[in-house]
Amino acid sequence: MQQVIGYIGRKTVQSISHILDLFAFAYRILTIGLSNPKEGRVLVGRVIVQQLYFTAIQALPVIVPIALLVGSAIIIQFARLSGQYDFGRISVLLIVREVGPIITAMIVILRSATAVTIEISYMRVLHELDALEMSGIDPVRVVCVPRLVGITSALLGLFIVFDLVSIMGGYAVVWLVTYIPMSGFLHQIAKAITVGDIAVGIIKALFFGITITVTCLYRGFEMKQQITEVPVATSRSAVECFLYCLFINAFISIVFYL
Amino acid sequence: MMKALPLLELSGYTLAPTGSGQGINNFYFSLRRGDVCAIDTQNPDDARSFLRALASLVYPVKGTYRFMGERMDLKAYAELLPCKQKIGYIAPDAALMSNLTLRQNILFHRYYFENDLAINVDDKIGALCDISQISEKLDQRPSDLNKMEVQMAIVLREVSKRPEILLLDRPEDFIGHANFDMLVQLFKDWITNGKPVVFLSYDRRLIRRFANRKILITSGSLTTVEVKWSSEDAV
Repeated sequence: MQQVIGYIGRKTVQSISHILDLFAFAYRILTIGLSNPKEGRVLVGRVIVQQLYFTAIQALPVIVPIALLVGSAIIIQFARLSGQYDFGRISVLLIVREVGPIITAMIVILRSATAVTIEISYMRVLHELDALEMSGIDPVRVVCVPRLVGITSALLGLFIVFDLVSIMGGYAVVWLVTYIPMSGFLHQIAKAITVGDIAVGIIKALFFGITITVTCLYRGFEMKQQITEVPVATSRSAVECFLYCLFINAFISIVFYL
Repeated sequence: MMKALPLLELSGYTLAPTGSGQGINNFYFSLRRGDVCAIDTQNPDDARSFLRALASLVYPVKGTYRFMGERMDLKAYAELLPCKQKIGYIAPDAALMSNLTLRQNILFHRYYFENDLAINVDDKIGALCDISQISEKLDQRPSDLNKMEVQMAIVLREVSKRPEILLLDRPEDFIGHANFDMLVQLFKDWITNGKPVVFLSYDRRLIRRFANRKILITSGSLTTVEVKWSSEDAV
């Protein structure tokens, strides 16, 4: 029994220590990002644009069909379930407040967070980060800051795209391929969405973006000697990012909607 | 006459063992302008560990690291960056950024510190690229090139950042025998300017021709001796 309690205690202490490390790392990236010295601005700007392209633009062919499928499925289900009563409002509640942010975060985790962890891990194992330091360049500034800005902005943009496509596209798909009466749907949506919903969406996107980037960068930067440690770090990073996003989503929903 | 202030000074330094090395215990080492130090050891892991310690890439178990007389806090990595910038590190564990082309790797320092994304390399580096036959390959990524070409690009990158101290790990292997004359010329230029060099080499010619100090690493201890080569030794 003592062994079990000891094990639980050790795991708890390790988890708390890990979360504190993540906060410290996030603080470090944010302070370096906000200090924005003159040196390296052009280079950092270019890496941010590249990251935006990889995370946002290249994700569009993935996120648009998913948004259409999710949007039309939700609209069909709620149209049937609600007997046409206020189903535009219910769809908005579900898509904008809960499903949209989580699915967008999941796509970013699967596409970008794993890629970033692998990239940074390889840079670590192959001494590329040492090479940066030997050039007098802070890896946090040229590697972490652009990814934090790029991924967070991309997530915000993708979140807006997901909501628009799933609601408008979903409406169009249902209208085109089913006989479900859709009268008043857009009007209900316009009435249902409040400034608060949009603000909460932005807050969620910001928190998800920061959490995903910091977690995958941290896992990438962790001390590694062997290339075989890279897949382990990637898997851990993806699972952790998803769990943290679920917690944050629930926390923000409780704070704003309860 | 007063001796010049050491550029680099490691005191009370202890390095943990790595690989097959024994580590180096409680040593003192200083590097001044004009020093050309050859490392003499039976254990390359200890020598590599020592070179990495000079480059502040490995931290000691204990000890003080001074750069240009200023004591550096090894825990504050950001404070070490200006020192690292002034150290040229040419060794098998030096790397190029794999997602950049050779040109971008060589120019990365300028991209960052001068906010200049122009793609032209300066004349001296261009001439070295021609000599080492990598001019045609500047727009390829490291994975498209052979090992010698990548290592040559690392040498050019380190030279282009105009360091104050040069650290070399077996340069004759690193740079390739085909480019050995170029290495000798680089060495000459370097030493003429009075810039200090620490190198590990198994090429006796290189040691006898250039070294004026020897760093002996044996059984976990480090000592340095001034050397004067006799005319029979000179090549």
